[in-house]
Amino acid sequence: MNIVVPIKQVPETSNVKMDPEKGTMIRAGVESVINPLDLYAIESALRLREEHGGVVTAITMGPPPAATALRQAIAMGCDEGILVSDRKFGGADTWATSYTLAEAIRKLGAETGSERGAVDLVIAGERATDGDTAQVGPGIAAWLDLPLATYVAHITDVADGTMTVERLVEEGYQILSIPFPALITVVKESAAPRLPTLSGKKRSISQEIPVFSTENMDLDAASLGLKGSPTKVVKIATPKVTRGGELVTAGTEDEVVSAVDRLMAFLEEKDLV
Amino acid sequence: MAAKTRNASPYNPVTPDIVGELRGIVGDRNVIVDEEKLETYSHDETNADEYGHMPEVVVLPTTTEQVAAVVQLANREVIPITPRGAGSGLSGGAIPDHGGILISVERMNKVVELDVDNMVIVVEAGMVTNDLAQLVQEKKLFFAGYPMSLQSCYIGGNIAENAGGGKAVKYGVTGRYIQGLELVTPTGEVVWLGGKLSKDVSGYDLTHLVVGSEGTLGIVTKAIVKLIGLPTASADLLVLFRTAREAIDVVPTIMARGIVPTSIEFMDQLSVQTSCAYLNESLPYQEAGAMLLIELDGTSAEQVEANMIATGDLCEQHGAIEVYIAEDATTKERIWSVRRNIAEAFKVYSPIQSLEDIVVPIASIPDVIPELERLSATYGMKIPCYGHAGDGNLHATLVKDPEMDMETWHTNEDRCLQELYALTTRLGGKISGEHGIGIKRKRYLKGVINPVELSLMAGIKRAWDPNNIMNPGKIFDLDGTTAS
Repeated sequence: MNIVVPIKQVPETSNVKMDPEKGTMIRAGVESVINPLDLYAIESALRLREEHGGVVTAITMGPPPAATALRQAIAMGCDEGILVSDRKFGGADTWATSYTLAEAIRKLGAETGSERGAVDLVIAGERATDGDTAQVGPGIAAWLDLPLATYVAHITDVADGTMTVERLVEEGYQILSIPFPALITVVKESAAPRLPTLSGKKRSISQEIPVFSTENMDLDAASLGLKGSPTKVVKIATPKVTRGGELVTAGTEDEVVSAVDRLMAFLEEKDLV
Repeated sequence: MAAKTRNASPYNPVTPDIVGELRGIVGDRNVIVDEEKLETYSHDETNADEYGHMPEVVVLPTTTEQVAAVVQLANREVIPITPRGAGSGLSGGAIPDHGGILISVERMNKVVELDVDNMVIVVEAGMVTNDLAQLVQEKKLFFAGYPMSLQSCYIGGNIAENAGGGKAVKYGVTGRYIQGLELVTPTGEVVWLGGKLSKDVSGYDLTHLVVGSEGTLGIVTKAIVKLIGLPTASADLLVLFRTAREAIDVVPTIMARGIVPTSIEFMDQLSVQTSCAYLNESLPYQEAGAMLLIELDGTSAEQVEANMIATGDLCEQHGAIEVYIAEDATTKERIWSVRRNIAEAFKVYSPIQSLEDIVVPIASIPDVIPELERLSATYGMKIPCYGHAGDGNLHATLVKDPEMDMETWHTNEDRCLQELYALTTRLGGKISGEHGIGIKRKRYLKGVINPVELSLMAGIKRAWDPNNIMNPGKIFDLDGTTAS
């Protein structure tokens, strides 16, 4: 089974600082990590490979340093990493990103003569912790015209060119059978990610990371990067939180009763008691 | 000196007149007599039911002069004083077990001076160590004597206890970074010891006599803290071994290679298992009798990576089942949280415990493990063992079986501790490596310490504190020791 896992590098979010003027995050000095929710996609892919054989390829779009994320994925056990990188890809929204990644996956699948063969399954994380859109995974499925199952909690069966999955929905699980090739996005419940190993790390250092760019991909220039992005960020603002409070003071013991009454009236007004 | 009024206690009570005088020194707002508010100051992180004791009054001075005036008053009136930092101690050092006046340094929390040219920061004793660490970090500097109690502890308390922690293998403990300090002596004099100096043999090293003296030799009011350059890269290895022996045997071979890890933490299977269950973490610990968590840091990612691989290779050559690595914040946090949550996980199982911190020569760690298993079986309690393998400091924790009745627990705890401490001593170790003696281990110290050493300590105490008012009865009692 040939599985592709699109991953994203995101800022490590435990200590985010915002620029109050611009309303954007201060990225200087902030470490980049693999989007934590993508680790579940990697783990799901590795488990399928262990059971059914095949190759797991991690793919990411970003500037050259994003290769670090691919090497980390290889250290966890992925077989290969592909970096989709070009200055022309910069500033892409979810539309342009999913288009570019879809084309990269198409190229990967079409590379005849390689051991990879066609792609059977794309597994993406539920969403990225920075953009929070959950659009790129389904976007890739749309561009590649693949059947799609989002929020997959369990892969229960794989046989005869189809897989059975359980989608996490409000009321419980929705059980779906989908034919390969397909794309699924997985939630945390799917599989606790394994830790990278020393042997994986060593392999990741020596591994060559192929770069897919406008030079070796056949792309529609109008759908790339900032220019190809229909999303326009007009303004980023931090919502102001205002808390209107009322201080009830009982200056003397005699005033306690009336103060409590006032407090109870307030709570009743707000439907809190 | 006022006459002693009670036969039972060698000390005088805090009278309304004394409280009035204290108000005069530190101001009304900085004197606490309200029972409810006093309660906060009656215990530390040891079991309050067992060790807690109410102070008669708490004062919150804001200047060294106020501390000195309060101490002079107490010395004159023969009222015991208990100095207190954040109250995060683990041996009862800050518990006012004779009542009297408790002096909390919580309002003395200012930076006096950040002297980058001399790579020191001068701070007041009530500065939260975490704040200090963050403050210097912004200047790309590092306070490396940082213990594990993280958020809450004060630098003054760290100095009093000579706190250790996770990074001691490479960076040593608090004392290494204390170049000088301002002390209010037990008679109320103010003296600066040491200075912004890396070398100083002009007389006895009184600075480091005060460090670790658990508040018995005076109250530290300011400290000159040495800083070093901030390491910019780090990586962790989580290594699974079949046995504790295999795990420990690898430690000297790493050191001999010239690699000095920041920390080498040891966890036995019971610790890992309990913590993983608590965290819902799925580490494959089933076959691992012991784990090492090794942290490396440095000034370049390349150097750290090379050391990480060399260290991992050595572990594999010494029989490691698997070597996991953590280079990014997410993974590091994941593996460290297993180590950090061991104590918490056992509290969920049973809140009644005796958290120990014995220290043995590192080669003796494997000898401790089977003994803990034997003690555990003999006394019917769980004894997980984890801690700082790189420096031999082990948190062998006695955890009460929830079913065991309290009377049996107390008897068994006492017997078990006696055996544990006898074993520690036999192996050339000491009963406390970083938590201190305080009141919790006082009677056990008596059983294992050389009488000559004890009498030297008692002699120092008498010379510094003639009325024995400064945190009396901590570490050892003066009664029964030879007068110097």
